[in-house]
Amino acid sequence: MGDRGIQQGYDVLVIGAGLAGMRAALAAHRQGARVAVMSKVHPVRSHSNAAQGGINAALTDRGDSWEDHAYDTVKGSDWLGDQDAIEVMCQEAGQEIIGLEHMGVIFNRDERGRLGARAFGGQRRARSFFVADITGQAILHVMYEQILKAGVPILEEWFCTDLIVEDGRCVGCVALEIRTGRVEAIPARTVVLATGGLGRVFEPSTNALICTGDGLTLAYRAGAPLMDMEMVQYHPTTLKGSGVLITEGARGEGAYLLNKHGERFMARYAPKMMELASRDVVSRAEMTEILEGRGVDGCVLLDCRHLGEKRIRERLSQIYDIARDYAGVDITREPIPIRPGMHYQMGGIKTDVWGRCWDPTGRWQGVEGLFAAGECACVSVHGANRLGANSLLDTLVFGRRAGETAARWAQERPLPSVNFPHWRQRREEGIRSLLAREVNADSIARIRWEMGTTMDSFLGVFRDREGIERALHTLRGLRERYERVGVRDKGRTFNTALLFALELDFMLECAEAIAISALTRTESRGAHFRRDYPQRDDVHWLKHILLYRNPNGEFPRIAYLPVTITRWPPQERSY
Amino acid sequence: MKFAFFPGCVSRGGCPELYPSAVAVARKVGLELEELTGASCTGAGVLQESNPFLGDCLNARTFAMAERLGLPILTICSTCQGVMSQAHVRLRDEAYRERVNGVLAEEGLSYRGQAQAKHLLWVLVEDIGLERVKAMVVRPLRGLRVAPFYGCYLVRPSKVLGYDERPERLRALERLIEALGAEPVDFPGKTRCCGFPILTINEGNAVAMVAQHTLDAKERGADAMVTPCPLCHLNLDGYQVKAMGRVKERIDLPILHLPQLVGLALGIDPKTLRLGRHLISAAPVLERLGPVAVKGV
Amino acid sequence: MRVTLKVRRYNPEAPHPRPYWQEYSLEVEQSATVLDALLRIREEVDESLALRCSCRSAICGSCAMRINGQATLACKTRLAAVAGQDGVLTVEPMGNLPVVKDLVVDMAPHWQKVRAVEAWLQPTGPEPEGEYLVPNEAMLHLAEVMNCIMCGACVSDCTVLEVDPTFLGPAALAKAYRFVADPRDGATKERLGKYTAPGGVWDCTRCFACVEVCPKGVAPMERIMALRERAIAAGYTDTYGARHTLAFAELVEHSGRLDELRLPLKTFGYTNVPQLVGLLPVAVRALARRKAPSPFHKPIPGVAAFRRTVRRARQASPTAGKQATGGSR
Repeated sequence: MGDRGIQQGYDVLVIGAGLAGMRAALAAHRQGARVAVMSKVHPVRSHSNAAQGGINAALTDRGDSWEDHAYDTVKGSDWLGDQDAIEVMCQEAGQEIIGLEHMGVIFNRDERGRLGARAFGGQRRARSFFVADITGQAILHVMYEQILKAGVPILEEWFCTDLIVEDGRCVGCVALEIRTGRVEAIPARTVVLATGGLGRVFEPSTNALICTGDGLTLAYRAGAPLMDMEMVQYHPTTLKGSGVLITEGARGEGAYLLNKHGERFMARYAPKMMELASRDVVSRAEMTEILEGRGVDGCVLLDCRHLGEKRIRERLSQIYDIARDYAGVDITREPIPIRPGMHYQMGGIKTDVWGRCWDPTGRWQGVEGLFAAGECACVSVHGANRLGANSLLDTLVFGRRAGETAARWAQERPLPSVNFPHWRQRREEGIRSLLAREVNADSIARIRWEMGTTMDSFLGVFRDREGIERALHTLRGLRERYERVGVRDKGRTFNTALLFALELDFMLECAEAIAISALTRTESRGAHFRRDYPQRDDVHWLKHILLYRNPNGEFPRIAYLPVTITRWPPQERSY
Repeated sequence: MKFAFFPGCVSRGGCPELYPSAVAVARKVGLELEELTGASCTGAGVLQESNPFLGDCLNARTFAMAERLGLPILTICSTCQGVMSQAHVRLRDEAYRERVNGVLAEEGLSYRGQAQAKHLLWVLVEDIGLERVKAMVVRPLRGLRVAPFYGCYLVRPSKVLGYDERPERLRALERLIEALGAEPVDFPGKTRCCGFPILTINEGNAVAMVAQHTLDAKERGADAMVTPCPLCHLNLDGYQVKAMGRVKERIDLPILHLPQLVGLALGIDPKTLRLGRHLISAAPVLERLGPVAVKGV
Repeated sequence: MRVTLKVRRYNPEAPHPRPYWQEYSLEVEQSATVLDALLRIREEVDESLALRCSCRSAICGSCAMRINGQATLACKTRLAAVAGQDGVLTVEPMGNLPVVKDLVVDMAPHWQKVRAVEAWLQPTGPEPEGEYLVPNEAMLHLAEVMNCIMCGACVSDCTVLEVDPTFLGPAALAKAYRFVADPRDGATKERLGKYTAPGGVWDCTRCFACVEVCPKGVAPMERIMALRERAIAAGYTDTYGARHTLAFAELVEHSGRLDELRLPLKTFGYTNVPQLVGLLPVAVRALARRKAPSPFHKPIPGVAAFRRTVRRARQASPTAGKQATGGSR
């Protein structure tokens, strides 16, 4: 990685090289901007590759309509999704899918050689396009190929520690080169955050170890608001213990959910859609079965046997392997025990439909020059609950928009004069003092574990005031412990212990934001279920919760934004 | 024990010392051999590159000949073994086997899917058994340190070569070396590639592999290397001088065929074993073993 | 059960940096993986142990390393399967790549080679309005190769890369195959030309190491063989590799046994003086030891019937008609 590039800076610096990040970088590059992508792992290691099931698009030549897709998404979001953003996503889905196919993504085909679709949860039509059960991986690798082809520089294994903000504008970032431990301040006219989710805040989680909410805290500390943080999705089918994901595609292919009596219990919770009801509905159903004693060892059963060996091998080979390798189960012969596990963050950094983390019309405050896309962003298209196969679509549509918009915005706005060395020095000193701290009996790992299990207990599928307040109290204690804990590896070469410490810092902040937001929303909607407020309350709560960080460690400032309704006034949500 | 003997192409071509030594050892340990004189080359994986179906037909033809005799096949070459095992697994598919048999029909041959090849190494270790082999040793190879070089096709792909059912095959050669009274020498290259397949394509790399493996073995104290594959022998022995030229170091590691090593321990004389034929002299091995110290005489 | 991990460590910041072994013993569950153990070691015993890992479910490719000398994914390897009778297993960084620290290697050579094979779709002609129409079988076939997560296990254990770092290698060539086999790619001929150049497909020794270690069933060597087949069919027959393959087939089909004397002659060409001269030293030595194949090569008995069988097999084979025949030169 040429040092000259880092010194000179970029028009668009994308942080995060998953689907959203690489799509943004590609789009910015095509606009003629000087772009670089930064990632704390090699791009193909990004967690986008774990998305198994598919990507949604309503193709009109199939007799589908984007309005149907949009309605399904609005309903799935339990009416918290902003309908203008949802319309944009659903309108542009078809063009995005074709674009992907032209770039080289394989996609399963029907007998005429056209893209073949399958059914997915929460949708009335089969409109999820897929590549066996490796859709995310397949698209991610093609994105990487396109980045290689375009020659976009990749700052591989660089960890972003701070955003540089001067006079309300983001002008770059500070980052740590993992291999050497050196710290650099990198100027950029715009920064696009595409850092993914925060699954490791919870324990267990389906997420990879790298999903630590970095971008959310970076933006939060820079002065941008976090929105809908309480909306955390629990995926219905994860392996007990490790939390490894079993794709919804299994249910899309027709697998059943059974309790200990062998009953397809979804008939009692979602009689029409059954196992393909929306994820929050299914997760709550499973959790209820388990808590009321009809589970098997803290789990329910996913039964694929009736699908037959051929179908399983052709379409679900990855979950066949996962079940065999991590649970010792042959899904052609036995059902596999699963339980809900934390999976996705609907909330995130507030953006508009162009990926901007500020509102030029001034309806809400933000940070100029800062953009976000993908799971770390909240436009919001997923509202209170995300439909399967909409996340991949979200990353690509809004990744592209953020990249294009950033490139255009950057072209007209040269950088002001900024004391970059000062920012660099500050972080360098911060790292030195962190490493110099005396080691005590506590450890980063222990603090993270306690945070994760606390969040799973009190901010999981079912919540209430008492539990959330307990969680907040625990989190405060963990933050204090964090400020004192020592790092046992004092080196600068590939110091993963240092990375974990930096990530834990980010995670604790995210955890608190989730808890505060959950405490604030006194209703139940989508994935957020309050035992003490079990009903949806459109009169008071058809709005988003925005959190603005208070630098002195006090409670964040809370603001609200009404949900944008275009064509679908709120209805009862039943499946 | 009776076997349909498949000597392969090289044991009478570039390694003419292998055939007589293998036959001598087989006789000594009580194996009756009926040679499949009409059988063809296995294809060695090279033929399979240009026409996999033809390769399967040739091997099915050999299997069918053995089935006609009602005998299992004995091989003395890792490459033959590997190629035949791969073919055997592919030919398990009934429909495919039928297609192949359609081609063989005119010669009056038909493969029923039973006959399989088994390498002399496994026959010694499994069918005869190490205890019996040990009892037959009249000249224990004491003091001789031998590095085993398996040959790729005897170890990979492990699924077709029976390693799942018989994981002890992973150390078959070492255990045999021990049973003969010698000391096996462990070194990183023992299951790697000798380079023979690319000899005419990238001689530099092929020679580099010879240098690496023989030097590694020598540095770990080996007096000799033993290999169950004549193709490996051609490279490790035949190109060792070039290897020495490349690394500018003396190696001079004698390379023995499996039956030669076994034959020495069983008291077969070196001339019968054609030990004088190698390009890298095997004399140091004979010197180290000393005058014939025959057990029980 | 109790396991002991012997881990190969290396710290470049040590006063005299050199690799060394460090042992860690711990009590683990029956179903635990090597990665589970390494993460516990890192969290509870030794925070300085450096390794790459992320998804824990064999999809990101970060945690490739050599366990008991063979490359694999740590997250997919059960301790019970690899711990010896004494509960010991060795854990080392991948081979054929420079070690940065402990189990972390520099993957740059690997990524460079992926770029070198131009691993991106190169369609020709006007883009269709909708999707390209391609049969599902073609896509399913490609999906097998797309299973590759670029973990580097094949690169680690490739026996050619061990002696020759300029070899393109199994991962890059498997990726290359993915484009040659894609009906939408329009650069097949040029690609095959590049991949058959020195350092390309003909440098593979067919040792199956990559097939053996690939955690995703990609079988890189089979893809390399498929590239060879396509290269020959496309007319790239003038490399020693192609000539060798064609000569081998011709000789065996003619006499039923391999004529080892004629094989190198046909491969190099009877008038290729420099190469033939290069064979002389070994040939002379071999002749002196009477260790050479006879120039009077005997066919197998019943060779006429054999040749007819070969002809029938060729006619019936799926590759019939795509064969470029090599003549003697």
